[in-house]
Amino acid sequence: MWDDQFEQILRPFVPFLGPQEELTPDAELKDLGLDSLATVQLLGTLEEAYQVRFRDSALTMDTFRTAGVLWDTVQSMLHTAAS
Amino acid sequence: MAHDTALVFPGMGPVPFTEVGRFMVANPFARDLVAIADEALGYSLVDAFRTSPGDYSEAAQVAFFVNCLACAHWARDHLGVEPDIVAGPSFGEKAAIAYTGALELPDAVRLTADIARCLEEYFAEEHRDIVTLSFVRAPQDGLDAILADLDEAEEWHEISCRIDDGFFMISLSEHRVVWMQERLRAIGSLPLYTMRPPMHASAFRSLREKAEREVVSRYSFADPKLPVVADQDGRLLHTGEELRTMLLDGFDHPMNWPSVTTALKAAGTRRLCVAGPDSLFGRVPCTTRNFDVVAAPPRLAMTPRRRSRAA
Repeated sequence: MWDDQFEQILRPFVPFLGPQEELTPDAELKDLGLDSLATVQLLGTLEEAYQVRFRDSALTMDTFRTAGVLWDTVQSMLHTAAS
Repeated sequence: MAHDTALVFPGMGPVPFTEVGRFMVANPFARDLVAIADEALGYSLVDAFRTSPGDYSEAAQVAFFVNCLACAHWARDHLGVEPDIVAGPSFGEKAAIAYTGALELPDAVRLTADIARCLEEYFAEEHRDIVTLSFVRAPQDGLDAILADLDEAEEWHEISCRIDDGFFMISLSEHRVVWMQERLRAIGSLPLYTMRPPMHASAFRSLREKAEREVVSRYSFADPKLPVVADQDGRLLHTGEELRTMLLDGFDHPMNWPSVTTALKAAGTRRLCVAGPDSLFGRVPCTTRNFDVVAAPPRLAMTPRRRSRAA
């Protein structure tokens, strides 16, 4: 599961998810209100927060399909940066 | 003279009937405009929009046009938006022409429907393999290198829209889209989506001529009651003839949104209202960092508002 920072960053971008509702790894972010332009803003926010750079295969709309896929992508970049 | 408040009619994106159908029949401004549109078209716009397949059917285009105008009237009454200057990027040109009185509403409705039919006919026969791909955060030097490779491969391509720094739409052959997406990702750019029909490219000169011959030449454009900013280069337009030219340029010249925001800033605009369904023009940084943005979408117009009570 993701860290607190990830969820704090993600929640403002999914306005259809109530503050008391759980953000699950499989929930479709588009259904929760993440549109194209918000995806671009989220991308920039994650890069700044985690000091990573999305490139190549990470730069598809599929990366932003669910919170689980997105976190896996961030985590894999963190591991790559650390190794 | 300072143009404090700008009214912007957005370019068209897909808007399902389920998102705006209720607005069209329940909002008083929309209802009045829909009645005028019904008479001009000779059919029920709401019924046609509900039953027409595709995001860009004739009825969907007229409905988008009508809904943007209705939102502008609603914003005037409910948000106090009294514009001093008007802009309409891409599809929004038509609403800008109608709002400023360059065409009477029934004529503007018919023109919108006629152009929609003209586009459909044209792209059913011509350029069937061309699509428009949008992408963001493309560094200029990296993008230039990709475009140079396309030139070298003698692949036709053209930037059709500049939306913001690093945010473009390019028209190119469909078989190059996957290649283009991979190249963009390699320079840190995020490809968004592809659109069909494409627009705003010099290759569509014959579409411009067809539209001028079959549609635009039938209408007389009056001078607008407010200045209109050309979405191709940010020029301030004051005559009907200039608006007519802007409309025709929209077929074969690229759209340049930053040139519009720069022109509005230079004209003294501080507040910018986007009237209609919009997920782009009112939200990109070159708009939000320069203006106090007021969004007036149909959804907001349908949200119950608390009446102010007398003390």
